[in-house]
Amino acid sequence: MKEDIADNADDGTTDFGFTRVNREAKAHLVRDVFDSVASRYDLMNDLMSGGVHRFWKRFTIELSGVRPGQTVLDIAGGTGDLAAKFSRLVGSEGRVILADINAAMLEVGRDRLIDTGAAGNVDVVQADAQALPFEDNSIDCITIAFGLRNVTDKDMALRSMLRVLRPGGRLLVLEFSKPVSPLLGKIYDQYSFQILPAMGRWIAQDADSYRYLAESIRQHPDQETLLGMMANAGFVDSQYHNMTGGIVAVHQGFKA
Amino acid sequence: MTKHDPALIGAALAGAERALNQAIRLAPTSHRELEGLVGTRLGMEISSFDLTLFVEIVTGPEVRLMNHCEAPTAAFVRGSIEDFASLATSDDPAAVLINSGIELEGSSASLITLQQVISRIEIDWEAPLVDALGDVVGHQIAETIRGIFRWGEGARISLTRQLSEYLLEEGKLTPPQTELDHFFDAVQSVSMRVERAQHKVAKLLAKAADRRTGQ
Ligand SMILES: C[S@@+](CC[C@H](N)C(=O)[O-])C[C@H]1O[C@@H](n2cnc3c(N)ncnc32)[C@H](O)[C@@H]1O
Repeated sequence: MKEDIADNADDGTTDFGFTRVNREAKAHLVRDVFDSVASRYDLMNDLMSGGVHRFWKRFTIELSGVRPGQTVLDIAGGTGDLAAKFSRLVGSEGRVILADINAAMLEVGRDRLIDTGAAGNVDVVQADAQALPFEDNSIDCITIAFGLRNVTDKDMALRSMLRVLRPGGRLLVLEFSKPVSPLLGKIYDQYSFQILPAMGRWIAQDADSYRYLAESIRQHPDQETLLGMMANAGFVDSQYHNMTGGIVAVHQGFKA
Repeated sequence: MTKHDPALIGAALAGAERALNQAIRLAPTSHRELEGLVGTRLGMEISSFDLTLFVEIVTGPEVRLMNHCEAPTAAFVRGSIEDFASLATSDDPAAVLINSGIELEGSSASLITLQQVISRIEIDWEAPLVDALGDVVGHQIAETIRGIFRWGEGARISLTRQLSEYLLEEGKLTPPQTELDHFFDAVQSVSMRVERAQHKVAKLLAKAADRRTGQ
């Protein structure tokens, strides 16, 4: 998929799932989706992925190579899954920033960090991935998990992440991608467009939000396209690893 | 890193890690021995499966199992699964290191300490994999939801069980048939469970309404 399918600067519209909307409207619509799912987000995450999202995240954390004393930014961090793990890895000398554009998601995240005792070295910041409110060259590692597809201008977000990374710093993008086998692709389609909204309707009383999630997954750039976007934004040594047959991929890039 | 699907290896490692750490918590002597190894990383390549794994001792002390690790290791061992099995169960790991087909790079000291700890503790591999997933709300509807959660845990167990078959099959198909089958089963099972749970909730609600009108 080419980026111009997802975003069209000329007519000022962008994708919202399979619907085309005004670029400003997308940010609001995405916010509504996450406002509406925030309190049940973790439960749904487990149900939707059969618990597998934990292993996707687990591998992302291994790839991060984060060490004690480092500064990690988890942008679009939502309810703080990754932030809690990083909090242990960076230790008391390090710092983790849990950032998200959505206050409701961050609130659930903050409570959870307090519950798990991880709050000591974690700052919770409301921020837009497209315009990160952090100093240049200040962060060792940035993760964005299942977040980039919701961002209106993905190129702008990648550039903003590059700016705040310190030279040698690493970006990890964990995101739904393109299944490598057509058979898996078909099964996965059935799952996303029929079962997902059904689960959303029952558990979150919100089929529409989960339909949006399924659609936004399909609109997201595939493995090679995202790799190209990272290179365009200025990341070097970029590569990706497919997981669960390419349903999900984790892309890695460095600041030179 | 290995060429296997990281999510699948991660599932197995997460289960093994929980089992190990639970056993370590229950054995205070091993606790003390491991304390001295905090910060140590070991790597192992199991040639039979073309699988490379890393163990790190972290504060707790706990073990952390990894599929990928860029940081330097104190020791790196290479061998077949049989070699590793005899190493893990041996009373004399130093002898196994010398006499078996295991290749060692780095120092054997931390490896031997870890072997001694692991060979002595009693590991319950099953229980941590079937733990219920925390409390959602304390009433019957929550029970229903937990039922679905348990399905998630069950799926994880079968994932781990399938792992060895999967690893042997690797290279023939991407993704391997077992994974596709598993995914397909999982999809069907979720849809059935959602349906059943919906039914159950409807019945509970009806019952609650009856009770209210009966009062
Ligand atoms: C699917 S959730 C992922 C949450 C978490 N990272 C995880 O993996 O569980 C997507 C998150 O992206 C956030 N988001 C959407 N647009 C964003 C933006 N422009 N900047 C920062 N966060 C954004 C949403 O608020 C939501 O919390």
